[in-house]
Amino acid sequence: MTNIGLIAIGAGIAVFTGVGAGLGMGIATGKAVEAVARQPEANSKINALLILGLALTESTAIYGFVTALVMIFTMGK
Amino acid sequence: METPSVGKILVMTVSLLIGAGALFLRARIPLPAKEDATFIPAKKKRNLLMFAGVLSLWVFTGLVLGLFGTGDRTLQVTISPARVDLFGFSVSSSVAIAWIVMAALILFAVLVRIFAVPRFQEKPRGLQLVLETAVEAISNFAKEKFGHENDGLAAYFFALAALFIGSAVVELFGFRPPTTDLSMTLSYALVTFVLINYFGIRKKGVKGRLKTLTKPVAVVAPFKLLSDIAVPVSLACRLFGNMLGGMIVVDLLYYALGAFSVGIPAVLGLYFNVFHPLIQFFIFINLSLTFIGEAVED
Repeated sequence: MTNIGLIAIGAGIAVFTGVGAGLGMGIATGKAVEAVARQPEANSKINALLILGLALTESTAIYGFVTALVMIFTMGK
Repeated sequence: METPSVGKILVMTVSLLIGAGALFLRARIPLPAKEDATFIPAKKKRNLLMFAGVLSLWVFTGLVLGLFGTGDRTLQVTISPARVDLFGFSVSSSVAIAWIVMAALILFAVLVRIFAVPRFQEKPRGLQLVLETAVEAISNFAKEKFGHENDGLAAYFFALAALFIGSAVVELFGFRPPTTDLSMTLSYALVTFVLINYFGIRKKGVKGRLKTLTKPVAVVAPFKLLSDIAVPVSLACRLFGNMLGGMIVVDLLYYALGAFSVGIPAVLGLYFNVFHPLIQFFIFINLSLTFIGEAVED
């Protein structure tokens, strides 16, 4: 017997990782804007670094999302 | 097909009349010269009529398409794609679609080689300009990350990018994109893993590659090994999660709009099927090259 409600709660907790990713991405973007304001000529370099950093930060949210999906689609059967 | 009620027919007729009328009226309004004082009000009027016409025609299209709907719409989302029967073999539908995409890309490449490349000129324009810009961008990027000696790496990542973006665009034709299958993204990531170790071993030898695990102290070796193994997993999950998330958002939109999903999903598709895969794959290449560069440097 599977309990759909518990799976749903677990999936909800799993996507809670988005909070951390959002905070991190916000801080990183803010810092990047500060850096560009201080040194506009380093714009392209900062941009490349920012995108790389955002991708790494975002992956925590994505892991949570994938975990939630796996829970919903494989545990309910 | 259901028989429409009287009210529905009335709404359909009214919206069709309003739409056609507005577009007709818009064509009748003359556009004065740009310096004229009446230019801006006339322009505004034309824009307003255009908006009203398109909106009414959109409502009409949605209502007509709604007549053909079956009524019981359900949202079907699975993380593993359906299986299809291909010449007696049961393969995943993502494999079959990836083969179609590959065939299309190979055909395109052969056609370009036969018809376009011999006609290349000194001053690029048209298709030549597009191709040269794309090739130059990715080769510069690889050089910047990795140094001069590896043009093969740039070519490999360019081919992978073409396959990836081709698979993402397939969704516009109504198929499930193969990139939303974990096995496809995992295979990309495993190739990257092999490349990391290949270049690391080629540069430093097996002993040197193993020695990097014990830097800075020997105690961290298990953790470093673990983080090395985590690289393909994290690459695969990141790509898979992003693509699946985009597909689910588009599916939700189709589900919410129902028969009215004309025009609006195309705008969203521009982001989720073209721009988003492009960015994600840029990140994938970026990370792959960074890891490969990390394995090579001492």
